[in-house]
Amino acid sequence: MELLYINSWSEILIGSVIGMVVVFVALIILVLLFDFIQYLVLNSSKKKMVKAGKKVEEMVDVSANEIAAISMALHLFINEMHDEESNVITIKRIERRYSPWNSKIYGLNNTLSR
Amino acid sequence: MRDLKYKIGILLIILGLFLPMGLFAQASGETSLIMDSLTKFWNNTAFANFEFKYLVMIVIGIAFLWLGIAKNWEPLLLVPIGFGILVGNVPFTEGYQIGIYEKGSVMNILYSGVLTGWYPPLIFLGIGAMTDFSTLIANPKLMLIGAAAQLGIFATFIGAYALGFTPQQCGAIGIIGGADGPTAIFLASRLAPELMGAVAVAAYSYMALVPVIQPPVMRLFTNSKERLIRMKPPRQVTRFEKIAFPVIGLLLTTFISPSAMSLLGMLFFGNLLKESGVTERLAETARFALINIVTIILGLTVGASTQADKFLTVDSLLIFGLGAASFIVATAGGVLFVKFMNLFLKEGNKINPLIGNAGVSAVPDSARVSQEIGLHYDKTNHLLMHAMAPNVAGVIGSAVAAGILLSMLT
Repeated sequence: MELLYINSWSEILIGSVIGMVVVFVALIILVLLFDFIQYLVLNSSKKKMVKAGKKVEEMVDVSANEIAAISMALHLFINEMHDEESNVITIKRIERRYSPWNSKIYGLNNTLSR
Repeated sequence: MRDLKYKIGILLIILGLFLPMGLFAQASGETSLIMDSLTKFWNNTAFANFEFKYLVMIVIGIAFLWLGIAKNWEPLLLVPIGFGILVGNVPFTEGYQIGIYEKGSVMNILYSGVLTGWYPPLIFLGIGAMTDFSTLIANPKLMLIGAAAQLGIFATFIGAYALGFTPQQCGAIGIIGGADGPTAIFLASRLAPELMGAVAVAAYSYMALVPVIQPPVMRLFTNSKERLIRMKPPRQVTRFEKIAFPVIGLLLTTFISPSAMSLLGMLFFGNLLKESGVTERLAETARFALINIVTIILGLTVGASTQADKFLTVDSLLIFGLGAASFIVATAGGVLFVKFMNLFLKEGNKINPLIGNAGVSAVPDSARVSQEIGLHYDKTNHLLMHAMAPNVAGVIGSAVAAGILLSMLT
């Protein structure tokens, strides 16, 4: 493939314009394609509704506020779930044999008090 | 107080030991050996190799850490980069495989992912697995704002050439205007590896400074009436559209700009993992573990690549200046393009120009700026969802622009 070689003012300017145009063209094609897909998707769902005996006017998007409220409710529900506990709190006493290890008495200095 | 006395005493004893050692050495004629060892040790310390420029970089590194930790500005980027700057600017004697530019050193091995450009595609995989393209699919025309904001890239490309950089270096500098760190690193590694440190640090610094740079530009180019425009909530998007988007997006964009394949391929692949609904484990790994690991290593090594003797140059200062200008031009490009689009749109379908800034691909910071500025003028006008569309389109746009620059300048 023959690549462009840029090394002068005119080539820099032309290269920049071409670059910008190509970015636009790539995204414009993507826009058109997704507009077309949107058209197809909406049309097919309208046809499904008609087949199911419903009116096309009944096809309404759930409003953003409702979606936000449902999402928040789900979030709170999922995050606040935890195991049922017995609610009995006990402190188990453990008997230990005496050990000088970490004994407080060996860690203190007996200083003279005046 | 008593503790302090003990410590001073121990210090004096240690110092006192040197005196008999010295006397012994003098008596036995071994002075030169001990002195040589001590001199050699001293010469290897950072104190002996210290120069003022390292201190400058260390201060910059601490400033990055402060901005990340205290100000909470992009901490995920600024903390690794800031610490990396400290790591890279501890002066050392060359030849011991310590520095990031010394072949075979640990830092050099980690840096190879930056130099050869394989970290950025992995980051794009994670970004793809995190990104929800629904708002973009629901309102495809917002994608064009993401294209308009790439004006910053090409304006900086021209500006850099005017300042005397080579065309390849201009491409690497221009991509800073895309406000996309991984893309900037990817392109710089291919076009001008010698500018990698400056380009990467400039791109990431300005991405962190998006909340500071963009608002004045947005206010400058909009009037009070435009700032209050309310946009229609986006429609719900079907699962089929969400799955089709990465497949069609990949084929279309890479057929136009194949050089961007490694970036866009990974971006759309990550998105397909997320949207397919059957590869949740892979998507989870891409958006958490993988991207986190790569971000840690990338941030640290990019920071460390700012070794003062290589980084503190006039070129770096020029790159920082051009980087700031590119962000301003990109923001203005996006905002002005929305105003241009509004000329052709019917009342009720108009777009709030405050989402124009989100065309630069600093995800999600620039969209957050749109939301905050929008709320400042109308407390009930939430623009975040709308701004996310040009924001993710900006990621695609900057990757396409990088591919074009790569194919033109390689």
